Amino acid sequence: MKISSGAKDWVTLFARLVLGGVLILAGVLKAKAPYEAAAAVRAYQLLPNSFASILGHSLPWLEIGAGLLLVIGIAVKKTAWFGGALMVLFIAAISQAWARGLSIDCGCFGNGGAVAPGHTKYMQEIIRDIGLTLCALYLIKFPHGKLGLDKKPELDGKEQNNGAAKG
Amino acid sequence: MAQQKGKDGGLRGLVIGMIVFVVAVGVLFTVLSSKSNDHAATPSSVVKANGYGIAFNNSGKPQVDIWEDFQCPICQRFESINHAYIESLARGNKVKVVFHPLSFIGAESVLAANAAACAADQGKFLDYHYSLYLNQGTENSGHITNSWLEGLAASVGITSSKFTKCVENGNYAGWVKNIAADGAAKNVNATPTVLVNGKELDRNTQYMDPAAFQAALVAAGA
Repeated sequence: MKISSGAKDWVTLFARLVLGGVLILAGVLKAKAPYEAAAAVRAYQLLPNSFASILGHSLPWLEIGAGLLLVIGIAVKKTAWFGGALMVLFIAAISQAWARGLSIDCGCFGNGGAVAPGHTKYMQEIIRDIGLTLCALYLIKFPHGKLGLDKKPELDGKEQNNGAAKG
Repeated sequence: MAQQKGKDGGLRGLVIGMIVFVVAVGVLFTVLSSKSNDHAATPSSVVKANGYGIAFNNSGKPQVDIWEDFQCPICQRFESINHAYIESLARGNKVKVVFHPLSFIGAESVLAANAAACAADQGKFLDYHYSLYLNQGTENSGHITNSWLEGLAASVGITSSKFTKCVENGNYAGWVKNIAADGAAKNVNATPTVLVNGKELDRNTQYMDPAAFQAALVAAGA
């Protein structure tokens, strides 16, 4: 891919705001209803019950933390690895639910749990998560962009962190 | 990747530290507060053996467990379809009916569940339960407040100042958590969930069809 360094920086900012913004939104919506978030994880029927509950309670906070780091632009590469791995896990979890014929909402933005057959949205959920995985991959490759607190190793440090308000 | 030192490096470390702290506190608080607490105050009709649920006809058979959230629109639909039958079972003396008010949807669900437990102490649980659904608003919109819950109580004939104190002080907030923890342990992942003798009814065919719902209960001995 042949794009100028300036454009690349803007794409990095865009990818950070998209992935980070979605993570923050998903985390906040779930953190407000923790029991529902835990039930959403249990509904995948993948993990032992008590472990699924603990994961369901913890996950929203991890998403909020990762989202904040991305939006502010700190430790972008490591956080993108985390966000990308999370998305791959989500895709795997949703796919197995689909393949096993469970009727659940992914619970990605709260809600979650059983839904009526025919009301599942597995394909849309997977496509969305693939898009977010692509954002993460781009950030792993090009972690340094506009308005981030991380510095390009070769730069003189002129850029400041005023990207935080954009989330 | 070279890390930047100096002033910006310090700021970066500070921000990372703050975020890690918020995440750690959030996780710890959420996980710890999801545990049940044996010492929580419970309404008088509640025993732990029923999963802390509000039980009618404790020695009756069959046992019908209803897991619900007062803010959940599908629960409202279920209630509007089946409440007359369920209330007749609870007011009768044959079938054990246990209500488990969950707080899936958020803080306003906790307020409503607490108030329902306060109403149970006044012997008005069923009326209050119906009234909560009848007057359901939009989820987490600020619709449910303590003063709204008190007004609703007056409309079903609850006048006791004990009820008002119970609502205002959130007397049964701990109990609401215990219900939620029990639901988690029993793998209840959706509202409403109806179990008859521990076995879940088919939510796709038996919940919203009153004839099928009653037939399932009658088949179990109701």
